[in-house]
Amino acid sequence: MQTHSPFPYEGPEALHPPIVAALARVVDPEVALNIVDVGLIYGVTVTDDRCRVYLTMTSAACPVTDVIIEEVWDELERVTPGLPPIEVELVWEPPWTPERMSEKARKFMGW
Amino acid sequence: MSARVSVRTALRVLVLLLVASALLGGIGGGLTRAGVFVPHTADAEWLGRAALGHAALMMCGFLGTVIGVERAVAIRRRAALLAPLSSAAGAVCLLLGHPAWNSWLLVVAAAAFAAASLVVVRRQREAHTLLLLVAALAWGVGNLLFAAGRESGAVLPWWFAFLVVTIAAERLEMARLMHRGAATRVLMVAAVCTLLAGAALSAATPPGGGLLYGAGLILLAAWLGLFDIARRTVFAHGLSRYMALCLLGGYAWLAIAGVAWGATALGWPARDAALHALGLGFIVSMVMGHAPVILPAVTHVKLRFSGWFYVPLAALHLSLVLRLGPGAFDPPLRALGAALNAMAIALFAITVAWAARRAASAQR
Repeated sequence: MQTHSPFPYEGPEALHPPIVAALARVVDPEVALNIVDVGLIYGVTVTDDRCRVYLTMTSAACPVTDVIIEEVWDELERVTPGLPPIEVELVWEPPWTPERMSEKARKFMGW
Repeated sequence: MSARVSVRTALRVLVLLLVASALLGGIGGGLTRAGVFVPHTADAEWLGRAALGHAALMMCGFLGTVIGVERAVAIRRRAALLAPLSSAAGAVCLLLGHPAWNSWLLVVAAAAFAAASLVVVRRQREAHTLLLLVAALAWGVGNLLFAAGRESGAVLPWWFAFLVVTIAAERLEMARLMHRGAATRVLMVAAVCTLLAGAALSAATPPGGGLLYGAGLILLAAWLGLFDIARRTVFAHGLSRYMALCLLGGYAWLAIAGVAWGATALGWPARDAALHALGLGFIVSMVMGHAPVILPAVTHVKLRFSGWFYVPLAALHLSLVLRLGPGAFDPPLRALGAALNAMAIALFAITVAWAARRAASAQR
């Protein structure tokens, strides 16, 4: 049975919940929301030799991109045992839209 | 690899030293203008230059450099560091008594910064990235007028427009999270156009230009007060709430600056309030709010946020109330307010250094 995923996920089912939980610990303090709720994770693929995270940003002028990538890295590394080397890929297509936000995030922002 | 790392570290240290010189020079000049420092023979020369160049040091040498570094980090191109290196080097030239070098280095800085902003637009063509480019061009206009030797009444509106529109663009981007629709974007563009029209008219017809500029500031303050995400994030905790309070406090000063700008245009003695409600109340409050997030991004030094950050923030806002309220009618109180403004910034620097130390010891 598949766990409900807030983003496309491919890989061992056992790693799925801890990966979602780890990414949800990365918070953008400017918006007071985690990156999963903002909808910045486009997908995660775990194979035998790689854990790839596809991440976007709401703005191309955002100087904190590297800090967020580093935090993604740190939080995923805590997901032990057995996560292969992590790669975070910054993607701009398709562009982020507010529709990607979770119910919780929409409620917080007063939609 | 170690050679690349050392070049990067050397560049970082160089930019940091130049930024610190611009900031210290700018504050020293500001305190001299406010009558807190009376220059004596030994330090008279550089303090005199700093006093004359206070606006150039604070807005171009310090803030222009910091924003230039931010943009270079965002687009991940080392060539974009030409902008902050030029503006920071210009500030040092000014302090060393070469104002013409400063003027032309600032023109180079704005051109390089506009190029970096164009890279952002090419990556993401949205209203907010276009506004970032408009802000960069406003800086360019201000720097050209400054290099041409125009008076501060013509130059300052453009320099402030550069900073205010940069902030507005970033807030417009965040406002997408509140899902307000296209009308909010149109209102923001209208406010920015009013501001820029005011800046353009200020050189030719100061009263009309000043009134329009003040109206632009008030419209932006209203937009931010109504549509900014700080209205929601102020209900969060920790760093998010602190950032929101820095922003909301800043918006109140932005509105006051708009009124004072218009009043000055009508001949009222409100120039100090117009310039410093904007520069300190709005812009420095914004800097205090964002430093805990931006500093780690550009310096790779981690900070540990704590409630102590509220102390310099409160000191900034209260000292500004003293300076622009009772200080407006009493020069010694105004000077005291200015001295306390500077102390609030010093206190903020100490708080940041302490937060970095706490983060480092927590990692050990």
